Amino acid sequence: IILNGITAHLLPTYHSEGHTGQYYMLPPAHIQKLFPYGLPPRFQLQIKTFNEGCVMVRPPALELISYLKRADYSKPPLRYVLHGDIGTGKTMSLCHVLHYCYTQGWLIVHIPDAHLWIKNCKELLPSSSRPSRFDQPIQASQWLKNFKITNERFLSKVQLDRYVWTKRESTKKGQPLGELIDQGVNRMKSSSDVVGAVLRELRLQAGGTTEGEGAFKLTVAVDGVNALWGKTSLKKEDRTMCEPEELTLIHNLRKMMKNNWSGGAILTALSQTGSVFKPRSAYLPNELLGEEGFDSMEPFVPVSVSNYNEKEFESCYLYYLDRSWLQHPHSRSEEGKKELIFLCNKNPSILERLCAAL
Amino acid sequence: MAAYITHPALSSLCKINCNINAIYSLISFSRRISISSVLSTSAVTTESEAAGQGVRGQRRSKRQAGEPRTERMTVDQDWTAVYPTAASFKPSTVPLPVRMGYPVKRGVPPAKKGNLELIKIPNFLHLTPVAIKKHCEALKQFCTEWPSALDSDEKCMKHFPIQVQSKEFVSAGLSLKNPDARIVTLKVKLSSLNLDDHARKKMIKLGEERYCKDTDTLTITTDSCPLRQQNYDYAMYLLTVLYHESWKTEAWEQEKTRADMEEYEWEDSPSQKNVLDTLLRMRPLGAKDEVEELLGQPAVQEYRDTMLRLKNEGETEENLHKYKEAVKKLFNI
Repeated sequence: IILNGITAHLLPTYHSEGHTGQYYMLPPAHIQKLFPYGLPPRFQLQIKTFNEGCVMVRPPALELISYLKRADYSKPPLRYVLHGDIGTGKTMSLCHVLHYCYTQGWLIVHIPDAHLWIKNCKELLPSSSRPSRFDQPIQASQWLKNFKITNERFLSKVQLDRYVWTKRESTKKGQPLGELIDQGVNRMKSSSDVVGAVLRELRLQAGGTTEGEGAFKLTVAVDGVNALWGKTSLKKEDRTMCEPEELTLIHNLRKMMKNNWSGGAILTALSQTGSVFKPRSAYLPNELLGEEGFDSMEPFVPVSVSNYNEKEFESCYLYYLDRSWLQHPHSRSEEGKKELIFLCNKNPSILERLCAAL
Repeated sequence: MAAYITHPALSSLCKINCNINAIYSLISFSRRISISSVLSTSAVTTESEAAGQGVRGQRRSKRQAGEPRTERMTVDQDWTAVYPTAASFKPSTVPLPVRMGYPVKRGVPPAKKGNLELIKIPNFLHLTPVAIKKHCEALKQFCTEWPSALDSDEKCMKHFPIQVQSKEFVSAGLSLKNPDARIVTLKVKLSSLNLDDHARKKMIKLGEERYCKDTDTLTITTDSCPLRQQNYDYAMYLLTVLYHESWKTEAWEQEKTRADMEEYEWEDSPSQKNVLDTLLRMRPLGAKDEVEELLGQPAVQEYRDTMLRLKNEGETEENLHKYKEAVKKLFNI
């Protein structure tokens, strides 16, 4: 469908400056594989309603894609941090860039929302391998399942090192990744440690130039990265607060964030919406990441995401009109459009919520 | 024989002296007489008063009040002669049509004539600008001249860097004294004191909230002593103590950590380590580079500047943008 500037089925590799403001369609097969839980919930509802997933091409995502195209993958990975006010489209831009990576054939490690790992965890088990840490079996196994769906083609290619789980179980050297993931999914108790092992393996083997067939580029995409260095809302058994360091998942993820490996990129987005103990007005990296987080993440490239500009707003409005989403007759007039601009200040998420009521 | 005299008091006395034998009759008589004398006294006194006034009217008349002085005052008169000292409000000498007081219903505040409210309150009619000028002129003979060398503010600040402020209170109440007059404020700029780097930082830390960063002034306010002189001495003492203490270095100052530092320093910071690590890893294997050489690159210096700005000045969009540029240059994106 090409209507008023919606270019469908064009792969992200070919997106350029001229395409800003235009929508492109995510192929349904890709959506199922790549984003089982990755997209924002309201966008998922929109996909169901419209029967298609259309993403707007915007400058922050284009900028990131251009950096990724030009980066040198024999050097340590660069860290990119998407930051901006609430509802400006950080998660959507991240998904856009992830789609690009997917079409390029990279291995994707995607954590849709790191905040989910530091709050509302029903089970918190003491870790089997290390006495001072805590495991989160449910979250870990769910993540492993998603990882399996996204990166199916790599499961057999990556070879593993030797790991010992218990006295009776151990993974022999040379076994494929798929088996390890299956083991993690089946045995919930050790799933967090499996996650740690998976991440370590990928780190060591990413971008290996001498592997030949096994060479792959790794992208680590974390949404809500400020969760890694903030406070948790989980309590230990003796009613004291849990530090993020003491959670196995968070600990391993922090190791991934460091740039002591090569052959990939680290894409992150800050998020205030799910964060605990952070004020609503905080949106700059220093405020959300905190001192510790800032020191660990830098040097990083901050990419700022802002509200729609005129052209983008126009495009969004026309898209909703085209999909017959705006039912109210007044919304089709010029005055109605001005009202919409005034009410939402061209903020993408507020506009979306407003139009849902019309 | 009773000799009746017109004077009633004498007559009653006479009668009492004559009729000594009849005691009871005397008592009753005297009582009757005393009552009657009381009655007649009052009657007679009024009579006599009227008669007296009539008599005195020829000698001392109650003067009618003449016209008030205000009628004869010119506009350009010398007011200092009318109210040379502090005096209560005299309606006939103040030519202003002043009204004061709570008005009766559907009325106006009462006029100044006979107005107790105006007399009760303190007034400063003796301290008009003209009067004060005259005071100054009179005091000038006791003053010395302003030194001609101190003709600009900068020179004053240079030679006399310490400013002492205190307030004087004028009140005309039950007591002339005001307890707030004992407060003394001492202001001094740290740039005018002889401090080196360590001393300056220590002084700022000791001063806590008394130091203002924007104007670089240390403000010491003392009000713990009852007299202004004592407070002034105490403030000077505090300044001297601060100065000498900040020059001394204690043994435990060696344990100053990064968290105690006032400003962010890039040397030895985690940021510097990260950058060094990244650059070292990015170097192709086999090439050896000195740490100083790596740090001396212009891109690294620019990164350092942006980091300092970010941490010291706080985070803004602008600073963040510059940081982004610096990072891009560092990694050649």
